[in-house]
Amino acid sequence: MAPKSDYQNRIELVQGTLDMLVLKTLQWGEQHGYGISQAIRASSGDVLQVETGSLYPALHRLERQRWVKAEWKKSESNQRAKFYKITKLGKDQLASDYERWGRMVATIEAIMTAK
Amino acid sequence: MRLFPFLRRKSDLQEEIESHLKMAIADRVARGQSPADARTSAMHEFGNVPLIADVTHNQWGWLRLELFMQDIRYAMRQLGRSPGFTFTVIITLALGIGANTAIFTLVHGILLRSLPVSDPSRLYRIGDRNDCCYYDNYQNDNGDFDLFSYDLYLRLKQVAPEFEQLAAVEAGGNGFSVRSGATPARQLRSEYVSGNYFATLGVGAYAGRVLNEKDDTPGAAPALVLSYKTWQADFGADSAIIGSTVYVQLHPFVVTGIAPPGFFGDRVIANPPDFWMPLANEPVLEGPNSALKNDDQLWLYPLGRVRPGVNIGTLQAKLSVTLRQWLATRSTYSANGGAALIPRQHVILAPAGGGIQRLQQQTGTGLRLLMILSTVVLLIACANIANLLLARCAARRSDVAMRMALGASRSNVMRQILTESVLLSLLGGAVGVAVAYAGSHMMLALAFPNARNMPFDANPSLPILAFAFMVSLLTGVLFGTAPAWLSSHAQPADALRGVNRGSGSAGDRSSLPQRALIVLQVALSMVLLAGALLMTKSLRNLEHQNFGIITANRYVLQFDPKGVGYSLDRLPALYREIEDRFSALPAMANVSLVRYIPLGGNMWGSCVIPQGHPAPGPNGRCFSTWDRASTHFLDSIGVPIVRGRNFSAQDTATSPQVVVVNQTFAKYFFPNQDPIGKHFGVNTPQYSGAFEIAGVFADFKMTDPRGEIRPLFFRPLSQQFNGYKEPDADAGEKSSMFVNFIILDFAQTPSDVEVLARRTLALIDPNLTVSHFSPYDAEVAGNFNQDRLLARLTSLFGALALTLASVGLYGVMSYSVVRRTSEIGIRMALGAARSGVVAMVLRGALWQLLVGLVVGIPAALFVGHLMTSLLYEVRAYDPLAFLGAILLLATCATVAGFIPARRAASIDPMQALRTD
Repeated sequence: MAPKSDYQNRIELVQGTLDMLVLKTLQWGEQHGYGISQAIRASSGDVLQVETGSLYPALHRLERQRWVKAEWKKSESNQRAKFYKITKLGKDQLASDYERWGRMVATIEAIMTAK
Repeated sequence: MRLFPFLRRKSDLQEEIESHLKMAIADRVARGQSPADARTSAMHEFGNVPLIADVTHNQWGWLRLELFMQDIRYAMRQLGRSPGFTFTVIITLALGIGANTAIFTLVHGILLRSLPVSDPSRLYRIGDRNDCCYYDNYQNDNGDFDLFSYDLYLRLKQVAPEFEQLAAVEAGGNGFSVRSGATPARQLRSEYVSGNYFATLGVGAYAGRVLNEKDDTPGAAPALVLSYKTWQADFGADSAIIGSTVYVQLHPFVVTGIAPPGFFGDRVIANPPDFWMPLANEPVLEGPNSALKNDDQLWLYPLGRVRPGVNIGTLQAKLSVTLRQWLATRSTYSANGGAALIPRQHVILAPAGGGIQRLQQQTGTGLRLLMILSTVVLLIACANIANLLLARCAARRSDVAMRMALGASRSNVMRQILTESVLLSLLGGAVGVAVAYAGSHMMLALAFPNARNMPFDANPSLPILAFAFMVSLLTGVLFGTAPAWLSSHAQPADALRGVNRGSGSAGDRSSLPQRALIVLQVALSMVLLAGALLMTKSLRNLEHQNFGIITANRYVLQFDPKGVGYSLDRLPALYREIEDRFSALPAMANVSLVRYIPLGGNMWGSCVIPQGHPAPGPNGRCFSTWDRASTHFLDSIGVPIVRGRNFSAQDTATSPQVVVVNQTFAKYFFPNQDPIGKHFGVNTPQYSGAFEIAGVFADFKMTDPRGEIRPLFFRPLSQQFNGYKEPDADAGEKSSMFVNFIILDFAQTPSDVEVLARRTLALIDPNLTVSHFSPYDAEVAGNFNQDRLLARLTSLFGALALTLASVGLYGVMSYSVVRRTSEIGIRMALGAARSGVVAMVLRGALWQLLVGLVVGIPAALFVGHLMTSLLYEVRAYDPLAFLGAILLLATCATVAGFIPARRAASIDPMQALRTD
């Protein structure tokens, strides 16, 4: 059942970070699923590739948590698409996720740099 | 509700993925790829579309619902694949669930019913028994007092402010001739109620106004309220009737209003009142015979609404004290040693939210019994279906094993099989509701054939449907659990081995549960069959007992000369003309007139005091039923005189007052004496010389067809006793002169007997209408409506149980023969005789029968014990009924076992060895 992964040249996303990245991307404005994946790829300098098999479940999970709201709209290329928008709850969640991430990085860094 | 967003979400997701792909393709094309290449690479990058859609979709937590739908679809497919099986199961279930639902419809309509009034839980009745209708002595040996006089009611009302309102209603009810406009009078049922009756119940009028306290004052204009159903059926729903005058027994009454639809009075009965009148109108209709004016006459049920928070026990004690105080002041109750009984007199406050519990007490035992029996039928049906499912699971074992080998979990398989059974049971339940609808209609018609405006109907209502649904669900789980459990234990490895081969431990796994189910079915069938035979025998005893009267070729015509205005002085001429005209009809043997017919359900009685005896003490039993009849009455019902003489034309208004008494009367009041020529009177010793016994007639059943024969005497229609000094006794004597029935005894029944009788009566006086005409046989049979219903239903259930059990046994035996084909083949190849094979298979069947009987007979004895009160001259352990049930079961089991046994014996050994 595991989605196939044949993107050897890219870094695997650290578990649990996808939600945070999606929320962060949405902080810049509402976006559809395709746009979000493009944005993450671009802002990571093509290093991070979000799989659709993870992205869409994540988006729907966030929507169910009411961290994002979804709405059907026309895109700039006149294509009907489902746009996601971060909510107040989502912003709070992002802040707490980011804070936890920071602590984790610091902890790991501390372990790795320990002599 | 939830299904809708669930479906929308699904198509939404589809569109979202499509839009993603379109944008990805558009980007690639913009970057210079060819559309075809762009599409391929976009699809490649996206990945497995259905899988992603699925995973995304599951984020919404609809997995369970979807799995459930999947299970149902799968179950539907499975059931559709074997229509024969599905059909059998659904029909079996429909019968089982239908029977239960039909009986629940009655239980719900009669036993669980609340009156359609506001806040019925605060209604209480003072008194909890069913004594009816007029009394002037203590009602129960234990001092339970439940009938009240008007005077006593007023006293109770005065001392008990705990009642927000305390109303009084007539214990019995009357049929009165009601005429409106120029239409002929019709016979309607009435009930006298106190003025605050509707206020107590919290019921307003549908149109016009209900009765109030002002209507219930002496001298107020007589008023009545019509029931909605009667207004619709008999008055054409004409609103002009409100405020108009109708004539009840020729007395003018104003119709003040119509009761609301659905309101049927203060009790659930088959014939609810057609109209209600204030108590104050009772003297108007009854004249000097009025019970209202007689402070000692007990004829009312008090019915009140207690204030919130009132302690019922305290109130009950307080009312009992008031009752005893009142009794002490009344000489009727305290004289002749009656005072000694006063201390034990008390009242019991009975919840009356369901109305006055008369029908409930009459039918309760029977209904509860039917509820038990129908549950047993359903259990048998469940056992049968469980067996069918077990066989089916065995057949599907390879399928299940394959699924488990491919990774299905045990719970998956169980859920799947349970879904299938619940689906089956729900389908069965749906058909069962239709069966119940027809069944409860039939039962109501059988139980209450003369019902008019019955306050409950057989149409399925929400609680009934909920009941059917719950029963179906339970049933499905019940018969589905065992097969589900067993098949979930399939060994995946079996799939590879070919489990359908006959032998091996896995193959026998379902055999023990199957046998256990058969044993259960046999045991339950034993209970039902024994019950059915007991009830049938009891009904036979009831119907074919020697009533002491001959009813063949006799017809009963009911009419009401008082209601159409005949006065006492015009009666002799009327009676003579009736006798003459009817006697002139062809093939007429005897014509008689009588006030109450034997076994017609009504009676009249007095306290008998033989000449020279003092008034009886409080424990002295002096009650005798009596009736007024014309000269040929005893001849017309075929009752012989055993001593002395019958009435004759020489007994006239001026000759000595004579009576004829039954043998029980003679034995009871004149033990070891010749009763002929003896005198007695009624009520008080001063009248004890009033009547002379002219003859003794053979005992016959007058009132209760189940009970012992009680003292009974007849007085001739020609003699009225003018010596009563008390106005009420005199009034009673006068009203006894009015007869209600003509008995026609034909030597040979003419074909158009009813037309003939009606025409003859109309020729005498067109105002005299026939309110009821029926063969006397039907009149007697009417006493046993409920017994007949019980006997028929238990027989039906018994037959159903026997069929189901036989089919079940046959199925299991056939199945085991098929499975043992090769074994039997080997046995026969080794020299077993065909008769030996038959015996072997039969032994298996009879062994299950035996174990079933060992369990079933004690259970049947127990149910028989529960039925004791319903049985007439049949003991609960009647050996004939039990032997009959055992014989029936044994016969069916032998047949059900013999067919597969013969099939086993016809196995060709060579063939059998080759097939496996």
